[in-house]
Amino acid sequence: MLSLRIAARFLKTSPGQSALIIAGIAVGIATQVFVGSLITSLQADLIDTTVGSSPHVTLLPPDGETTLPGSYAERVLDSEPLATDAVAVRDFSAIYADGDESLPLSVKGGGAAGIDGIYGLSGRLVEGAYTLADDEILVGAGFAEATGVGPGDELSLLLPDGRTGAYVVSGVFDLGAAAANERLAFTAAQTAAAALGLETDAYSAIEVQLSDVFASTEVAERLASELDAVAVDWQATNEELLSGLQAQSGSSAMIQVFVLVAVALGIASTLAISAVQKTRQIGILKAMGMGDGPAGRIFLWQAALLGAGGTTGGIALGYALIWGFSFAPVPFSIRPEPQFIAISAVVGISVALASSVIPARKTSRLDPIEVIQSG
Amino acid sequence: MAERAPLLVADALEKVYGSGDIATRALKGVSFTLEAGEFASIVGQSGSGKSTLLNLLGLLDTPTSGVVRYNGEDTGALKPSGRAELRNGLIGFVFQFHYLLPEFSVWENMVMPRLIAGVAVNDAERRRGEELLHLLGLAGLGDKNANQLSGGQKQRVAIGRALMSEPELILADEPTGNLDSSNSEAVYELFRRVNAERGTTFLIVTHDRRIAQQTDRILEVLDGELVQDVPNDYRSAEKD
Repeated sequence: MLSLRIAARFLKTSPGQSALIIAGIAVGIATQVFVGSLITSLQADLIDTTVGSSPHVTLLPPDGETTLPGSYAERVLDSEPLATDAVAVRDFSAIYADGDESLPLSVKGGGAAGIDGIYGLSGRLVEGAYTLADDEILVGAGFAEATGVGPGDELSLLLPDGRTGAYVVSGVFDLGAAAANERLAFTAAQTAAAALGLETDAYSAIEVQLSDVFASTEVAERLASELDAVAVDWQATNEELLSGLQAQSGSSAMIQVFVLVAVALGIASTLAISAVQKTRQIGILKAMGMGDGPAGRIFLWQAALLGAGGTTGGIALGYALIWGFSFAPVPFSIRPEPQFIAISAVVGISVALASSVIPARKTSRLDPIEVIQSG
Repeated sequence: MAERAPLLVADALEKVYGSGDIATRALKGVSFTLEAGEFASIVGQSGSGKSTLLNLLGLLDTPTSGVVRYNGEDTGALKPSGRAELRNGLIGFVFQFHYLLPEFSVWENMVMPRLIAGVAVNDAERRRGEELLHLLGLAGLGDKNANQLSGGQKQRVAIGRALMSEPELILADEPTGNLDSSNSEAVYELFRRVNAERGTTFLIVTHDRRIAQQTDRILEVLDGELVQDVPNDYRSAEKD
């Protein structure tokens, strides 16, 4: 390992130059870690806001049918490893009328635990309690504000068949989206069955949440083939959001590629200068019998040491930036992505090694007589 | 019993720099043989081609034509790695300039050829190294950085480096050019001692006939040709 020892000594005897290049790599890697984690966290937050509290796959009755059996929810949970929650729901439309004012409502009836699994309502209540007993209803914050109703109040709704249903508001939720807060409401499954005049085991849809939101298309295809139902996944109904996320990922990748190119050029130019500075020493070593391979490896080791030092410093700096960002007044936090950081580390060291190829080859080709004759 | 091949054979060595009208023939067919254990010198005026000859013999440069043989082996057939191995294992160099590595200590410079060979330096070698430093007037300077020494001290470290790896042959190009007369005398005494005790072969390039007079054999190069190759009778008589 004489090549490593010589490389380390060359770096140690040029501390200013070594520190500069390590700082250059560190800034590049820190940018990688920070921008990568920022974009990843931003996307995760956006996805969570958009689909975190809604079904990722919805099973609907096949053509010619109007309902699905409730047992499909259990079958989904049994057969689909990515399904974390599944609930059979009964959907119906209703109208709230108060004098001249009327507001449409989309009411979803299902088991309290199942609904909570999909929509996370128990954690999003702003008033009242999360209960779905017979004839109880949970309404959104926008609806509550518009109508002035609150927990304990009676709510009369005009049902699709012309009847009027009377319900008691048990709680008010905030799903973070104005449309959902104004138009969505939840009841117990049997309350919805009564409003729709449905049999006990007839449901209008099965709503499923997955551990991997981006697997929804494949899961939907699998469920549609396994069960007699039409499967709709969130990606099919949110194409604009997806193309936005892809554009964001693309621009993030582009920033990272340019940062890497800048880091590579920085290391390559410094190593090239170092190779010229150390030509005399390399010539002396070769005159004493050092082979072309070990002589070339001196610069590979220099690059590896610079890359390792810069990458370690860069990751530390990246974490510091992420920590600093936690104090910024933004509605989401950045989570360092260990996998992404590991990739940045590998890329950082690889770029450093690749940058050393030209000086290493130049060094391995150096003829010692060039140095000895030049005196 | 097969006769042992000479340590070094230079056979019709030619070196031409440039080509066409500007071609310069630095060496014009130099041939001689050096047996193991000899203490010889090459003399000649500045520009006569003696350093070029030494570079060819040290496998630092390749001849335009002719052959350099070590222990019967044609070095022209060797790959660069084979030439590097021979330089490291068989030859010790002392150049006109010290060529020390300024990033390393005196001791590290001394053992660098051993480190290049991948040999760990043991206690016995360390003791020998300390003795060499003492003989070269460098006692106690082993841990100093090579850059902290004077020019003369650096040249003596370079001599120590050549001797440290105990090569079969020492090729020295004006080794004492930067030393005062007393240090120069001490170095030649050391060379002589190593030659006598270990049988190390010495080939010393010099333009100073007084130094050449201290060797057993004198080869004279003039305008790229070997014009004289004679035993040093004065020295022989002195030994008798």
